[in-house]
Amino acid sequence: MRIPCPYCGSRDASEFSYSGDATLTRPAPDSTDAMFDYVYLRDNPVGVHQEHWYHTAGCHAWVKVTRNVSTHEVIDAVLAHDEAES
Amino acid sequence: MLDLALISAFAELRSMGDGRGVIARERRGIAIATVMARKGRGAALAAAVKEQFDINLPLGPHGSGSDATSFLGTGPGRWLVTHDAGRPRFVDSLAQQLDGLASVVDQSDSVGLLRLSGPALLDVLAKGVAVDLSATAFPAGSVAVTQIAHMGVTLWKVDETATIHIAAARSMAGSFLHWLEASAAVTGLVVDA
Ligand SMILES: [Zn+2]
Repeated sequence: MRIPCPYCGSRDASEFSYSGDATLTRPAPDSTDAMFDYVYLRDNPVGVHQEHWYHTAGCHAWVKVTRNVSTHEVIDAVLAHDEAES
Repeated sequence: MLDLALISAFAELRSMGDGRGVIARERRGIAIATVMARKGRGAALAAAVKEQFDINLPLGPHGSGSDATSFLGTGPGRWLVTHDAGRPRFVDSLAQQLDGLASVVDQSDSVGLLRLSGPALLDVLAKGVAVDLSATAFPAGSVAVTQIAHMGVTLWKVDETATIHIAAARSMAGSFLHWLEASAAVTGLVVDA
């Protein structure tokens, strides 16, 4: 599988570290139950999903990847940094 | 008392095999620094680099400048700067010139630089680099931060002949040379003095 890094271009997935579900929002730190769910409870979705990947062996940017986890088709990839600022 | 000797990162570079498929030369005595823009100061940093060096700071994976002084894009808001014009204490003065705009870290003794050329260069690099380095996908001026045999490298194309410069961590220089010698022996690796 290759991931189109918005900065570097098309790169092999082995250059990236997988970080997990990009659709979740980190809860307030004082909410113990919500934090437990956020850290430990995972969905196992089929089809199109959004994930955070870190370009460890490249530009060191966090990339938000929209990908079909059944077919491995990569649909979109944006810098998480840019999205957080917009 | 211990005698300290200045030994360059790729001092062990040797010719291998027959032929002149790949021609290698270590670039020695180069001042090298990483430059990271401070938050929200990207535009001011670009203006300062333009004013101080007459270089357009690249916003993508490209190089600007010349072998004398070049700014190579290695990530969002991050550059590798090389200086080959012998200005003493270049990195110190760079840090002063960009004070408040960027974090400047001296990498001169932590990074080894090789200049590679030769008719078989791209075929040999294809054994280790999972990036298309052909003229259409990777024209002169392009920069790639990637890995070769699990070793992190920054490489950039200087001209279409093709000439490629590679920066690797000094601590990986021995393993990197092992990979280069093994990969280029079949076409011949020549050290260009
Ligand atoms: Zn990247």
